[in-house]
Formats: sequence, structure tokens, C-alpha cells
Amino acid sequence: MPKNRRRSLLSRVVEFKPGEQVIAVFFFFYFFLITAPYYIIKPIRNSSYLERMGDENLPLAYFLTALLMGFIVNFHSKLQVKIPRRTLILSSLVFFFLNICLFWWLFTHDWKWVPVVFWVWANIFAIVLVTQFWILVNDVFNPREAKRLIGFIGSGGLLGAILGGMMAGALAKTRASSFLLLIAAGMLSIGILLVLSIFARWRKSEPGTDREAAARTKMSMKQAKAGFRDGWETVKQSPYLKLLAGVVMVTLVVSTLIDFQFNSIVSNKVVTGPGMTSFFGYFNAGTNAFAFFLQLLLTSNIIRRFGIRLTLLFYPLILLLGSAGIGTVAFASIIPAVLIKAGDKSLAYSLNQSVRELLYIPISAEQKYKSKVFIDMFLNRFAKGVGAVILFVLLTIVPRSSGMGVTAAGIRYISLVVAFIIFGWIFLNLRVSRGYTDAVKEKLKPPRERGDRLVSEQVDVDYTKLVFDTLESKDRSSVLYAMHLYDLIKQDKLTPELRKLITYKTDEVRAASLGTLFEQGETALGPQTEDDLDNEVLMKEIEEILSLDTYQEVMKSYVDKAISEEGEQGKTARMEAAKAIGLMSPDARVVERLEDLLADGSPEVSHYAVQSAAALKRRESVPYLVSKLSAPFLREDAMDALAKYGPKVAGTLADYLVDKMEDIEIRKAATSVLARIGNQDAADFLGWELAEASGALAMDIIDGLDRIRSMNPEIHFPQDIIKSKILAQIRSCCQALVACSLEERIEIRQKMILQWEKMQADVLENIFKLFGLIYPHEDIAKAYQNIKTGTKNSVAYAIELLDNILDREMRESLFPLIEDLSLEERKSKCQVLLTSLAGGKKPE
Amino acid sequence: MKISSRERNDVIIFDVEGEIRRSDISDVTLHQLVKNQLDSGKRRILLNFEQVEFIDSFGVGEILASYISTHNLGGKLKIVKISKKLYLIFQVTMLTKVLDIFDDEDAALKSFF
Repeated sequence: MPKNRRRSLLSRVVEFKPGEQVIAVFFFFYFFLITAPYYIIKPIRNSSYLERMGDENLPLAYFLTALLMGFIVNFHSKLQVKIPRRTLILSSLVFFFLNICLFWWLFTHDWKWVPVVFWVWANIFAIVLVTQFWILVNDVFNPREAKRLIGFIGSGGLLGAILGGMMAGALAKTRASSFLLLIAAGMLSIGILLVLSIFARWRKSEPGTDREAAARTKMSMKQAKAGFRDGWETVKQSPYLKLLAGVVMVTLVVSTLIDFQFNSIVSNKVVTGPGMTSFFGYFNAGTNAFAFFLQLLLTSNIIRRFGIRLTLLFYPLILLLGSAGIGTVAFASIIPAVLIKAGDKSLAYSLNQSVRELLYIPISAEQKYKSKVFIDMFLNRFAKGVGAVILFVLLTIVPRSSGMGVTAAGIRYISLVVAFIIFGWIFLNLRVSRGYTDAVKEKLKPPRERGDRLVSEQVDVDYTKLVFDTLESKDRSSVLYAMHLYDLIKQDKLTPELRKLITYKTDEVRAASLGTLFEQGETALGPQTEDDLDNEVLMKEIEEILSLDTYQEVMKSYVDKAISEEGEQGKTARMEAAKAIGLMSPDARVVERLEDLLADGSPEVSHYAVQSAAALKRRESVPYLVSKLSAPFLREDAMDALAKYGPKVAGTLADYLVDKMEDIEIRKAATSVLARIGNQDAADFLGWELAEASGALAMDIIDGLDRIRSMNPEIHFPQDIIKSKILAQIRSCCQALVACSLEERIEIRQKMILQWEKMQADVLENIFKLFGLIYPHEDIAKAYQNIKTGTKNSVAYAIELLDNILDREMRESLFPLIEDLSLEERKSKCQVLLTSLAGGKKPE
Repeated sequence: MKISSRERNDVIIFDVEGEIRRSDISDVTLHQLVKNQLDSGKRRILLNFEQVEFIDSFGVGEILASYISTHNLGGKLKIVKISKKLYLIFQVTMLTKVLDIFDDEDAALKSFF
């Protein structure tokens, strides 16, 4: 087959990135060359044990394996401290190679203890070599690479299991059966050469190829000096790892019980001797073939389609069904037993193995290494031991036959226990999937707070503006200045520091030569007339004056006169009048002239009138304030004033917002004010208008809704409108990209692509704000922040988080825009998406 | 008030001259000028206030609105060379809590990276 064609066939199944293919293929065969020997060994292990010891002694084998595995893990951990990873893995392979040769010789003698030792040894063989394999995978690949390649690499192990099982099945009844172990040893010897190549290549190219991967690898090697106790402590201290360990424990306890049921039924239904070896060989090969295709073709799709949470439930639910089947028909037929065992085996090594490896992705390299050694090597076997203990107990309770074998009723009892444990397993899976999402969140940088929120939390904007107005008024009018001081006193904001500041005159000195003003003597600060005033007395006296009828009458005349005055002198008088009105009570007669001052042509007069309107909250002032929303120099003041009116103006503002004939600046400002009001009505008005709005107004509405959501998490938003807006945004972005690709003139196409990238950034900003309205706001903000500014790994974790919190439709629509794809790949995915959004019809 | 812009090391610098007050604005406000730069993809904005004599409450609003718009888009807005008096007002009103203020343009530019 030509090389290119071979590559394209492989690439159709596996998504390789440049530079990954060779190392991934090496790992595929590494896994193949440790599982193929194991699946030759396994049927020999089963048949020799069952023939010699009988099924009633299976718990003994489980128990011995579990007991010995504790010592092996400890020994393995000590070896890790002393020797490098490469030496450890190669030594282990050589050790097991020599062991197989030794067992081949031992089986030529008819010693009864050999099958017992062989059973325990075979399990240690599998656990040690497979764990070492996955640790090396974690060392070499980063989480994203591992997630993408896990299906392919894992299928190498399953292919090994198939061919190993088939070989055992085919050769068991022939003269070559005595050479099966030597064939396994031969395969392992090739595996040794392959591991040498992997280490040579890894050292040369440091795959993963970026510095981050290299640093991670070094760190991981450093952390390889972990012992058994470290592993235990690591798992104990992390709630997530405890859950993960719990899931592994329960999985293996269930698997052990099912294994026992299966073996019991088989030993009663299938012929003994070579026939049994052959049956196990073919059975293993059959289930592994199913698992292989499941792994290679479906696992990634299932995980992508259903997410980690639901995928984690598949395995226990299928075993629950199988267990119910065994419990119902038991010995009447071997079929349910074969089905449940086949389900157990095929899912355990495909879907379940892959999801379990994914669960390790969000934890730190240190935790990953320590916990994997502990869980995969020790807990794995310990769980089998627990399963054995449960079996021991069950076998003392359940009915036994005269030959001490387990009866159909006994199998049913065990099925009941299995079903009960599976319910606990499902519960743990749900918890661990939630823990996984939380662990992914922890890997992400915290979201950036909205600027307006940040400012409102750090700065008292009204006070700041008042200070500036006070300073501005100082040189203009002593009356205005005095009113500002009164305002500051009324708000209890005239601190000694501020007094010094507003009387400070030396403003020529630049920040470069900043001294410590407040440490200077009073003489540097100019006149201190305000220091002598008693604030409380002053306030009381002013309030009394303001409430006097005579004062109101005099003031009314004065304000009437001021309004009629023109020119610079008149402007100052109008400013004073506008400011003074805001200090009075709403029922004061003079307040009636406020709208005249709001309509004043001078921005400075209007500024004070708008402030007074905000203080008095007169209904009559609202249209004037709205009209100011179109003036750049008064817009911010008018928006502040209307926001201070609060919910009672929400409906009026909504009228302006929906009026398509209205000035767009007023509609946009109305949006901003509604967002500041931020109650449920405001959110509803903005949500409804969002359905109709487009362009800059739509962006402002989305931003306004985001502001409401960030300030008030209790507010609800119309899901259907939000989702349809998200899809519309995605559709327009995809259509623009497809349009770029249709342009044949290269220069124009490049310009279009640059424009599209800008559009993509805007669309993503809008989409994530909209997502934040209907999904957990902080999680969405985190994901967006990390996609926008994060590193390669941050982006990967952000996508992983979204994968777990968005529903399928939103996920599948968004991912073509955010995944790490080439432009061509993105375009293809966008085309598929457009077809799907158009209901299967080809997009226009 | 006059505002001119220039670019140094991928940072847009607005040189503001005169007084930032509502009675003295031209056709386009400072905030609008900042938004235009943000729309064109710029995310690093430096306001040079060396020639700024006075700011009123409108000017403060413009600076804060510019800061919010820049921050919301993941950008940074900083200020350089403000008068001692303005700096003190910024301190008293706690504007220095959100606004990064520098004495020297080079130091300000360096701080963006």
C-alpha cells in the first residue's frame, strides 16, 4: 500500500498533529507487545488453575494476588527511588521475559503448586507492565495529546489482546500448545527493543515538543521518586482522588464477582482440559475484538457525544443489566454469563479505561504520578482482594452443591449483591464526574472581573466627581464652591485630607517630583477658612434656611432671574441655581424651574441640573434626561441620573429602547441604564429586545445583560431567545468564513480572513456573555478568559470545562469556532455545522 | 482640549493637551477615541497628561469609561505624567486603586509587557 494512502487511512481514524505519528505508533505497538503475551498467558492461567484447583478455590487465588501486590508495589516504589525510569521499565520487561521461560519449564512438570504461583504471577505481570506503560504515556504526552491519542494507543493493547487470545485459542488444542509461553516470551522480547526505541526517540525529540512538555517531563521524572506512602497520602488528601480510588475499587470488586460467576458457570457447562483453554482463548479473543473496534471507532465519539458524566454510567448500567440477566436465568443458559462477562471485559479495556485515563487529566503531574502508581498497581489488586473477601463471605452463605460448587441459587444471590454494589458505583461515578469538572475549573485562571464592577468596588465615583466639581467651582464662584463643600459635609466626606487638597494651590509640580503632601506643614496648604467651621452646626443652619418659606420665595425670584440671564455671568448664576435646587426638598416651589435648567444650552448648567434631577427624581425631568443621552458631554451624567431613578423608569426606558425610530445613541444609552438598574424587569426588557436587535445595539444589549448577570445572579433570562441569538452569532461567523474560502483572489481572500478573525473575536465575546446568562456565569467567564489569553494547556482545559457544562447543541455549535484547528479544518467544520443548523439542507 | 495619538511598541499613546472638561470638548470625546482604537484591535492604551491643566467631573467620567471599555476587552489603560495636584486628587478619591499612573513614559510602556 502506498505510504500516503496508508497515512491517510490512519489519519481518518486518529487525529494526529505534526510530529506525533511515529511516537504514537511506537506506543501502540508497545502496548500491543505487552498485552498480546498476557492474553496468551491468561487462558493458560485460567485453565491450569481451574483444572488443578477447581472454581471453589478461585477466591484463594484472588486473595493471594491482592496480598502479594502490596509487597510488589512497595518493592516497585523502592526500585523507582533507586533506578531511572528507563532502566526500571526495561528491567521489568527482561525480568518477566525470563519468568515466562522459567514457567514454560515448570509446566513440563506436573507440580500442583505451579498453577497457583502462575495465577498470581500472571496478574502481577499484567498490572506492573500496564501501569508502567500508562505512566510512560503520561510522561511523554501532555493532556491534550493524551486525550486525542488515547483511543489509538489503547487500541494497540486491545489488538494485542485479540491476537494473543486468538493465538491461545487456535494453538491450545494443537501440538504447538506447549510452545505458547515461548511465543509470549518472544513477543515480549520485541517489546523490549521497542521500548528502547521509544526512549531513544523521546530523548532525541522530546515529543509534545514544546518547552512546557519538556519541563513537565523533567518535573515528572523528579517526582518519580515517590514511594508507596506518598501515593497513599496523595490519594487520602484529595477528595477527588479518593472518589477516583473509590470508583476503581468498586469497579474491580464488581468485576471480581462477575468473573467468579462467569468462571463458575463455564466450569459447569464447558468441557474440561484443552477444550476449556480453547474456550477461554476464543472468548477472550472475541470480547477483545469487540473492545478493539469499540475503542478505535466508537469510544471517542461516545465521549464526545455524551460527555464524561454519561459515558461513566454506560459501563455500570450494562453490567447491571447483565447481572439481572444472570440473576434471572443463571445456570439455565451460559448466554447471560457470556454476555455480562463480555460486556465487562470489552468495556473495561475500552470505554472505561479511556474515561478513567481522562479523569487523571486535570490533576497535577505530581498527584497524577503518585496516585496512578498507588491506584493502578496497589488498589487495583487490593480491590480484587476485597472482592475475594466478599466472595468468601458469600460462599459461606449461598447454597452449595454436594461437590461444593455454587448452585444456581448461589449465583443469583451473588447477582443481587453485584446489583447492590453497582448502584453505589453509579453514585460514585456521578460524584467523580462532578469532581472532574471542579478539577478542570481549578486548572483555569480566575476570570477577569468586569471593568465597571471593578471601578464601582474600588472607587466612589459620585464622590470623586463631587471632588472634581468642587475644585472646578473654586475659581468660578464662591457660592458654587460653598454649595459643594456643603454637599461634601452632608455626605460626611469632607475629610481633613480632602480639605487640605482642595485648598492646595501648587499644581505646577509634576508627579515625577511628588512629595508627601500630607506630611507637609499647614503653611504650604493655603488658606484654611473651612477648618474653623463646625460641620453639624453648619448643616443644621443651612437646612433651617432652606426650609424657610421666605427663603423659597426669595430663591424663586432669584432662580427666575438667573434663568433669564444670558452670557458668562448669567451662566454662573444658572449653574448656582441648578446646584441649589438639588439641595432642596422635592416639594420646594423653586424645584419647578428644574426642567428649564435641564433644557439649558450650556453643558455646565445642564450638568448641575442633571445632578439635581438625580437627587429629586421628578417624573417631569425624565424626558429631559433622556434627551441628554444623545449628547456626548452629558450622556454619562444623564445615565447616572436615570439609573438613580431605579426600577420606576425601566418601562419608560424600554419604550425608548424598542422604538426603532429613536436616535440609536439614546437606544444604546437606555440599554446601559437598564443594565445599571439591573432588576428582573430590566433583564426582561433587554432580553426581549435582543431577539430583534442587531449590530452595535445587539452588542450593547448583550453587554448589558452580562452586567446584570454579574451583579445579580438571581435574575433569570429567556433561554430560548439567548440560545437562538447564540446560534445566530455562530451561523453568521461560519457563513463569513465559508465566504472567505470561496474568494479565489488570494490578496482579497487574505484580507477577508483578517476581517473574519476580528469578527470571530467579537462573536466569541458575545457568545460567551450569552452563555454566561444561561450557564454558570463564573465558569463561562473562566473558560472565555482562558481561551482568549491562556496558554495552549489553558485553552485545552477551557474547552474541556465547556465540554462538561454546555448542552450538546451548544457544544457542537461552538466548538468549530474555538477548537485548535487549521483554517481549512475550521471551514469544513463550519460547513457541516451550517448544514446542520439549516436542518440538513445545504446552506445558502 | 487637543488630543493626538501615536504608537510606540504596540502601545497607543494619547497626548492630551489643555483641560478635559465638558465645556471644552471637540467633536469626539476621549472615550470615543479610545473606543475607536479598541475597535481596531488595540489593547494597550497610555494617556499622556503632561500637558493637561485641569480635569472636571466629566473628564473623570471619560477616563473611567475609557478604563472600563479597555478592561472589559482584556486590555490595559494607564496614565503617565499627571500633575502633582491631580495625582493627589486621584489618591484621595482612590482612583489610584484602579488606574496605573507613571512618572515616565518609558517605564509606563515597559509596564504593559
